[in-house]
Amino acid sequence: MSEIKLIITGTPGAGKTTAIAAISETPPVRTDQATTDDLADLKEETTVAMDFGDLTLEDGQKVFLYGTPGQRRFEFMWKILVQGGLGLILLVDCSRDDPLADMDMYLENFADFIEETGVVIGLTRRDECESPDLDDFYERLDRWGTVFPILEVDVRKREDVSLMINALISTIEFA
Amino acid sequence: MNQPRISESGEKFCQEVFAQMMEQSHAVYGVLISTVDGHDVTKRFKREMPVAKLSAMMGSVLALGETIAREAQQERCRYVIVENSDGFILTLKLKEKLVLTVIASADANLGLLHTLSRNAVEKLAKSLK
Repeated sequence: MSEIKLIITGTPGAGKTTAIAAISETPPVRTDQATTDDLADLKEETTVAMDFGDLTLEDGQKVFLYGTPGQRRFEFMWKILVQGGLGLILLVDCSRDDPLADMDMYLENFADFIEETGVVIGLTRRDECESPDLDDFYERLDRWGTVFPILEVDVRKREDVSLMINALISTIEFA
Repeated sequence: MNQPRISESGEKFCQEVFAQMMEQSHAVYGVLISTVDGHDVTKRFKREMPVAKLSAMMGSVLALGETIAREAQQERCRYVIVENSDGFILTLKLKEKLVLTVIASADANLGLLHTLSRNAVEKLAKSLK
C-alpha cells in the first residue's frame, strides 16, 4: 500500500486547520496557540507549527495531510514540512484585502516545491466578496506561465476537501 | 501590526531578571521572552542572534512539545530542551501567552539551567500582566 504526503498552505484564517479536521479519519494533530496580534480580531488561536491528519483513498492509498502555519514568520516550517511531499493545496481567503497578492506570495515561496510536484488552488470565503472573480485568478496565473486547477471550496465540507485532494492527485499523476 | 508590548517598568524588571540569570550562570548568553504565536517581546543577548526568527521558532517548538506530550498521553509539557554539541536551548511557557527561552553554552549545568529558568518564570509571571 502506498502513502502520499500532501501539504496544505495559505493565508492565516483561510481554513487549513478546518480542512484537515473536515477530512481526517483520525483526530487531527494541532499546534494552535493564542493569537496576540491583529489576527486576534479574526480568530483566537493560530497554528504555529503544523496540523496533521490522514485519510484512506478508495484504492487503499493512505494520504497524510500536513497543514503549515500561514504567517510568513513561520516560513522555516514551510521548508521543513514540504520535505517528502508530493503536492500542495494552496488555500486563498477571498475575503482578505488582496487575495491575488496572497496567491502570488505563496506561489513564489513554494515555487521550487511546486515545480517538482503540483498544486491545486482552493478559493475560500467566496460568498464574502464579489471580486476578484475566477477569471482574475486565472489571468494572474498566466503571469506564472502555467495553469493550475482553481476550485471554489467550503473547507468545512468533507466533499470539497476531498475534491481538492483528488484534483491534486490527478494533477500529480498526469504531470 | 499590533504586536504585544510590555511597559517600561516591565521591561526594566525583565532586564534585571535576565541579568541575574546571567550572573548566576555564566554559560547563559541569551534570554528571550516571546509570545506563543511567535513575536519577540524582550531579550538580553550577549551575542548577536536573529531574534525574530528565534521567537517564531520557539513558538513552534514549544507548541510541538505540548502536542507531542498530548499524543503520547503525557500531561503538561514543562520544558523543551534542544541539546547541541556546543550548547543548550531551553524553552518553557511563561504565563498563558508568553514563552521564555534560555540559551547557554555547553559548559552549563543542565540542572542549574532548569532551576534558573523555573525561578525566572515564577518571578516574571508575578510581575508581567
